[in-house]
Amino acid sequence: MSRRAHAPDFGLHLVRNTALWALPVCLVWLLLTPVYNRFLIEAGENLLHIIESPNVTRLVPDDDHYALITRIDFPPSRQVVSSFRLSDLHFHVILLVGLFLGTPRTPWRKRLGDLGLALVIAAFFHLILIVFWVQFTYATQLGDWSVEAYGPLARNFWGLGKHVLDLPVKLAFPLLLWTAFYIDRLLPPEPAGDGAA
Amino acid sequence: MSKMPKKTAKNRSKKPSKQPADGASRRRQVTFLVVFIVLLAGSFSVLSLHWVNDHVVEPFTAGVAWMSGIVLDLLGQDVVRTGTVIRGSHFAVNIENGCNGVETMLIFLAAVVAFPATWRWRLAGLGLGVVAIQVVNLIRVVALFLTGVYLPDLFDTSHTVIWQTLVILSGVALWIVWANRSTQSSGARTEAEA
Repeated sequence: MSRRAHAPDFGLHLVRNTALWALPVCLVWLLLTPVYNRFLIEAGENLLHIIESPNVTRLVPDDDHYALITRIDFPPSRQVVSSFRLSDLHFHVILLVGLFLGTPRTPWRKRLGDLGLALVIAAFFHLILIVFWVQFTYATQLGDWSVEAYGPLARNFWGLGKHVLDLPVKLAFPLLLWTAFYIDRLLPPEPAGDGAA
Repeated sequence: MSKMPKKTAKNRSKKPSKQPADGASRRRQVTFLVVFIVLLAGSFSVLSLHWVNDHVVEPFTAGVAWMSGIVLDLLGQDVVRTGTVIRGSHFAVNIENGCNGVETMLIFLAAVVAFPATWRWRLAGLGLGVVAIQVVNLIRVVALFLTGVYLPDLFDTSHTVIWQTLVILSGVALWIVWANRSTQSSGARTEAEA
């Protein structure tokens, strides 16, 4: 494998294939996004209920792309505390699928198997990101209520966690997962004698 | 039935020589991933500090807005720049974190430094990569401003889906090509030394 994978055109083929896959994958993503957003809202709310007591958070869909964060323990006029764009959480899947499907010299069976596993990991990541979004909103965005309900440590934990997950991890996610499966295709050959060590 | 003992014998003779190589290969993969993740986490933690945001990221983002404003002026948009805000007669954008290309640059930097290559290759890759990512980001800001002016209904989708994906794709593509070239270069060097 390694000799063929280190051929000069491996990187260029991967980039070309990923770019070619991007458009059809984007179209499929746009088609499936409303359904997937519904799943994220339901599953995300259930996940939130595991860490809160009593269960006061309700995530309400707002058109196909947004979710409203509501608390049923707040007065009716203030129950909707914030909203976030669900599609922003998972648009990186376009690049993820493009990279996995575009990996050259890989049997389709392996590509699809690896992609399936990567998508399951991605779904877990999206659910965790929803938990952090909601807790970040409660802990830092509701003024005096946030200060009363969350201590400094909790505010920093949810704030930093949301920042790290929503920017670096979310953006690097496709590359991180692809390298976890296929980095051996790009690494230089083993130095002589390394295997005996 | 008669083939079974042969196969077993073949496997037995192969396994001892293969295992150490597999182990070393796995170790290099894990090392890359760990260093990549540590550098990502470290660089983004530094980025989240108020002082760094106020004294490094904000001025850098203002620079991105300034460059974008020049290009938009050249395209006849007649915009006014105030800090990170670009304002035209019908539309205005505020360039925030996530839209200045810094995140893609840091992901690229972490991947380049984590990859086993010579420092000369790394520095060359970082120099070219950072410039290329910023050029793509400049095109993004200008294109998004024009989308906001002429096709405002498409702004949201264009902002999050199309351009975010394209900017990250550019960083990932640059790294893949760089890593592949670096590997070829080290392979050629090893052959020449042998």
